[in-house]
Amino acid sequence: MLAFLDDPKILHGIYVLGTLTLFFIGLYGLLAKRHLLKVLISIAVMELSVYLLFVGLATSPGETAPILSDGLTEFAGMADPVPQALTLTAIVIGLAVLALGVSLAVQYHRLTGKADIARMTELKEL
Amino acid sequence: MTLPLTPVWFVALPLLLAFASPLWVRYRLLMPLLVGTPALLLLLAFVLLPEVRTGPLLETIVIAPPLGIHLQLDSASWILVALISLAGLLATAFIWLSDAEPYLRDRRAFVFLLLLIAGCNGMVLTGDLFNLYVFLEIAGVSAYALSALRRDASALEAGLKYLIIGSVAAVFFLFSVVLIYLQTGQLNMAAVAARFGGIPAPMQLLIGLLMLVGLGIKAELFPFNFWVPDVYQGSHPVLAGLFSGLLVKAFLFVLFHLVFLLLADPQVAGLWLMGLGATTMLIAEVVALRQEDMRRMLAYSSLGQIGLITLALGFGMQATTAGGLFHMVNHTLVKLLLFLTAAVLLRSFVSARLADLAGAGRARPLAAALFVLGALAVMGLPPLSGFASKLWILKGFAEAGVFWPVALILLAALIEAGYYFRWIKVLYDPNGDLKAAAPVERMAYVPMGVAAGLIILLGVAPFLVDDLFIEGAQTLLDRGAALSAVLGAGS
Repeated sequence: MLAFLDDPKILHGIYVLGTLTLFFIGLYGLLAKRHLLKVLISIAVMELSVYLLFVGLATSPGETAPILSDGLTEFAGMADPVPQALTLTAIVIGLAVLALGVSLAVQYHRLTGKADIARMTELKEL
Repeated sequence: MTLPLTPVWFVALPLLLAFASPLWVRYRLLMPLLVGTPALLLLLAFVLLPEVRTGPLLETIVIAPPLGIHLQLDSASWILVALISLAGLLATAFIWLSDAEPYLRDRRAFVFLLLLIAGCNGMVLTGDLFNLYVFLEIAGVSAYALSALRRDASALEAGLKYLIIGSVAAVFFLFSVVLIYLQTGQLNMAAVAARFGGIPAPMQLLIGLLMLVGLGIKAELFPFNFWVPDVYQGSHPVLAGLFSGLLVKAFLFVLFHLVFLLLADPQVAGLWLMGLGATTMLIAEVVALRQEDMRRMLAYSSLGQIGLITLALGFGMQATTAGGLFHMVNHTLVKLLLFLTAAVLLRSFVSARLADLAGAGRARPLAAALFVLGALAVMGLPPLSGFASKLWILKGFAEAGVFWPVALILLAALIEAGYYFRWIKVLYDPNGDLKAAAPVERMAYVPMGVAAGLIILLGVAPFLVDDLFIEGAQTLLDRGAALSAVLGAGS
């Protein structure tokens, strides 16, 4: 019944629609939400959508993992490993930035009791 | 065993020293190494200079191009690497000699400062788009952490704002890199450039826009630069000087490097960038007029100069590009000098507000004199270096017969004169009632004196460095040579 999903064009179309929806959900959260943690999570959602798009569009149905094992001796019909390696790196970087952001937000909240972006007014035009 | 002197040291040395920092704390080497590392990198840059001038130094780690990590040191990126090392050296020397606040002298600051230098060098040198993203994040994360380092409400607010806007920029940049890879199957910049023309036009536009948003935020171009004054005001002035002097310059260079490399015909993109640059310059200069905090005023002035550099580089002619690169160097020296004077004044009088600094010139004559020198150099008065580079840019525009940028640049210089003289007048106000000044270490003036000396030297004798900038501009603009250097002749 779901055989039509084996068509790379349809599958990639679904990936593009899904990841773009996710991207715009993140963008909406970034622009509309005011709580610091929600803003940081929105950025993480945007990042995730980019990773998904990358991994999704770089592979097609029927491709196998680029690992020589289980009797496989040559690289034929395998997925491109570069996007997956890059996505792993990007996930690590994104996680580190998110952790730094959350820790700064927690410290800021402890110090001032504020977690609202619109009320961060220590620095402003005089 | 001898270690070959190759471009990789500009990234590897600060990284290695930063991660071995517990050792340096133990042997009490933290401060000597903080200053020593950029000094060593500057030395290395000058050792490599004769070789770079004969041809670009390419270094490939692991596999042959287009696979593998690829670094490229040519005449254009040499200018930036030397500038980053010099700015790093002056700022760290100031931190050491001025006996700066403890949070700038501990292990965390040491690690972040060296990572900032490593990230900026990496961005300028790399020939690979994904590495560019990684270095962009390294430099970004260290900058966020540095601005939040003081850990009071204003510093944390600056750090948070910087982190949020910086991560958004990184997401947009990553998005464009992903699209480029999906379209071309390449990440090596030269290999991407060779195939970029084959991408369908709407996709090219999308990639270009995503990259412009990503790098535009990082390079502080209008309309993506609303966050800059907050961050510069909340961070320590020395760090603000570093952000303005080294981080933004690295991003600007990356932006234009990509424009000139990827696009076979950079005219249209250049025109858009010139428009953005001109808008950035005029708006920032006008807003700077009514700033009451020295750090905010300097931040807006810095934005104005960045607009000017974008205007000059976007034109894409050899004369204006060389002038733009020269102005990059001048602006780094001048802004670093001004932010260091701001640091001295802030230390002495605990405030950087206009009203609190009335008459500060009597209590701190040397700092005020250096501020005046820096202000005159920003405005572009002879015989200071700002004059030489602005004249070069204006001559370039005039020779090409394009006069609107000339008018705008002169107008911006007039507005600059307006707000800098307002500050100078207040600094030398005879009726100011000043609180007692906190002492400042005399040695703190040494790095400021060096910057001032260079500003005067480059202004009096610009012919000393003329050739370097012309060669840099030629390398930056010569797309064909850049492609064949990496991909081999015939491709």
